[in-house]
Amino acid sequence: MSHADTHDLIVTTGVTKTYQDNGVPVHAVRGIDLTIRCGEFTAIVGPSGSGKTTILNIISGLDTVTSGEVWLAGKQLSAMSGTELSDFRRDRVGFIFQAYNLIPVLTVEENVEYIMLLQGVSKQERHDRVDKILGELGLAGFAHRLPTKLSGGQQQRVAIARAMVSGPAIILADEPTANLDSKTGAELLDMMRTLNENSGITFLFSTHDTQIMERARRLITLRDGVIHSDEVRG
Amino acid sequence: MLTMTIAWRNIFRQKRRTTLTILTLLGGFTLSAISIGWSDGTYNRIIEMFTRNRLGHIQIHAAGYLDRPSLYRNITNGAELGSRIEDIPEVEAWTPRLFSAALASVAEKTSGVQIVGINPEREARATRFDRKIIDGRSLSAEAAHETVIGRGLARTLKAGCGDEIVVVSQGADGSIANDLYTIVGILESGDAIQDQASLYLHLADAQELLVLAGAVHELVVIASSLEDVAQATEAIQSRLNEPNLEVAPWQEFARPFYVAMKADQQGSWIGLFIIVLIVSIGVLNTILMTVLERTREYGVLKAVGTRPGQVFRLVLYEVWIMSIVGVTIGAGISLIINYTLSIHGIVMPQAFTYGGMEFTHYYAEVNARSILIPAVTVILSAVLVSILPALRAARVAPARALRTH
Ligand SMILES: Nc1ncnc2c1ncn2[C@@H]1O[C@H](COP(=O)(O)OP(=O)(O)OP(=O)(O)O)[C@@H](O)[C@H]1O
Ligand SMILES: [Mg+2]
Repeated sequence: MSHADTHDLIVTTGVTKTYQDNGVPVHAVRGIDLTIRCGEFTAIVGPSGSGKTTILNIISGLDTVTSGEVWLAGKQLSAMSGTELSDFRRDRVGFIFQAYNLIPVLTVEENVEYIMLLQGVSKQERHDRVDKILGELGLAGFAHRLPTKLSGGQQQRVAIARAMVSGPAIILADEPTANLDSKTGAELLDMMRTLNENSGITFLFSTHDTQIMERARRLITLRDGVIHSDEVRG
Repeated sequence: MLTMTIAWRNIFRQKRRTTLTILTLLGGFTLSAISIGWSDGTYNRIIEMFTRNRLGHIQIHAAGYLDRPSLYRNITNGAELGSRIEDIPEVEAWTPRLFSAALASVAEKTSGVQIVGINPEREARATRFDRKIIDGRSLSAEAAHETVIGRGLARTLKAGCGDEIVVVSQGADGSIANDLYTIVGILESGDAIQDQASLYLHLADAQELLVLAGAVHELVVIASSLEDVAQATEAIQSRLNEPNLEVAPWQEFARPFYVAMKADQQGSWIGLFIIVLIVSIGVLNTILMTVLERTREYGVLKAVGTRPGQVFRLVLYEVWIMSIVGVTIGAGISLIINYTLSIHGIVMPQAFTYGGMEFTHYYAEVNARSILIPAVTVILSAVLVSILPALRAARVAPARALRTH
């Protein structure tokens, strides 16, 4: 099977998800077979309600499937317990959210440090990594600020730093630029792509902004919960 | 860990709400601490008056005397026993007594009396005998056929200082005992019923009258404080170690009084329970609101790999911190108030009598109990009511929490 291939980071087979909306079944995702390989920079696009958030949540273990299987970094998600999943996300998955979702009471530095603290990384190591990543993302002077004192673009860069710093296998981003103006959004995407090229870290993000999809190297289009097209570009 | 940092900073986010919660905790604690300090103060005062002024903290009798007092159940080596226990650190004083029923007459009037043979010097030191004299003086140090009688008895006999009183009783040898004494003082013990009958003689005079040379019925022991009574009792027991003696603390020899005190104190637990209830509802309200508001944040924390247990602790830490702050400030306030009330007291709107004694002031007591009991109950109830909201936070489904905007 293809999921045995070490270069396949994500493999989904026949994934479906049916929500119950007041007793009415909503088929959010209806049979998705998808393989994401290490180092990809892939966008999931599609109209509102096509199932982008649903499939990203399923891949990260935040949501469960109705049927089908998901392997992430060689692990079958449905075989893991709650705590295992939570530790798995901590160590292998980085998240970037549409609404930034930084911890409001923690400074930039502490937000970035948070996951490493959960992992038990030593203090020296944490500081070195935080300094390095904040520098790379142009946030060097903001380490001690609270998120609320930053612009949206800056907050999202902190979120990228937080997602990257613990060295995850993949970064999942659900509409990371939707709350930003198009110029800032494009800059952010360029930054993500640079990080992808330099560090080889895999990015999988969703968007419905055409300007943003331009920057993806692989474009998966969803329509009504199924893959409508899957194209690899330059 | 960072969870603690987040909890700490979280409590500053809703300053008004946090302040109100801490005030609730603080108020609940302080009310409980004062009410316990106050009730302890009042009860201990009643107990202290009841015991120290009259009955003593500990009594030593011949075995069986407490159950069935009798002229013949006496101790013949009272002075020697006394000297054996007087260097126990918790023993402050001791005094011997000899009892007998008798008839007393002054001129035409006659009344039944209880003879109490005492050692005036020891009695003064142990139970402040001399200070209860409201007219005349106390008995002389040496036996001189003098007597001090209770105020009620003086009224019944229409007698006063200087009058002669005839006392008739039965001697231990079966003979009719009678003798003539001079009233030198009138006494008010605080217990009006007792004052109707008490007739105090010098121990030597009483022993002579009753033909009980060298014998006493009771050794009254005063401990250095109420709290030391148990320890003093034990020390005396092991020091004397005689099977024909009974060493009883006040809880035993004044059992009905002790039971009544206990029952009365139960009432204060209801007050404590109501306070705990109010605190619990206040805290529950705050924590529920907080948890509902932060559902999304808990979702984020869980999404990035925070374990459910860590989210649970995050919520409880917040409650814990607020409780500690409330209790610490409350302890300071309570100590100051209880201390002030223990010195100055509060005048009662209406003086009341208990066991024949009059009380005019409330006094609080400063003790560990009045701080520890409220501290434990307040913190425990705050933490307990927070368990459900904390579980709720720990169980937040990140996917759903993140979808809500
Ligand atoms: N918890 C839920 N209960 C019921 N229906 C749900 C739930 N979550 C999602 N859905 C439905 O599932 C379908 C797919 O939703 P999803 O959020 O994955 O779409 P999306 O592509 O991310 O859309 P958008 O671009 O608006 O974010 C939608 O019809 C949505 O209403
Ligand atoms: Mg979506």
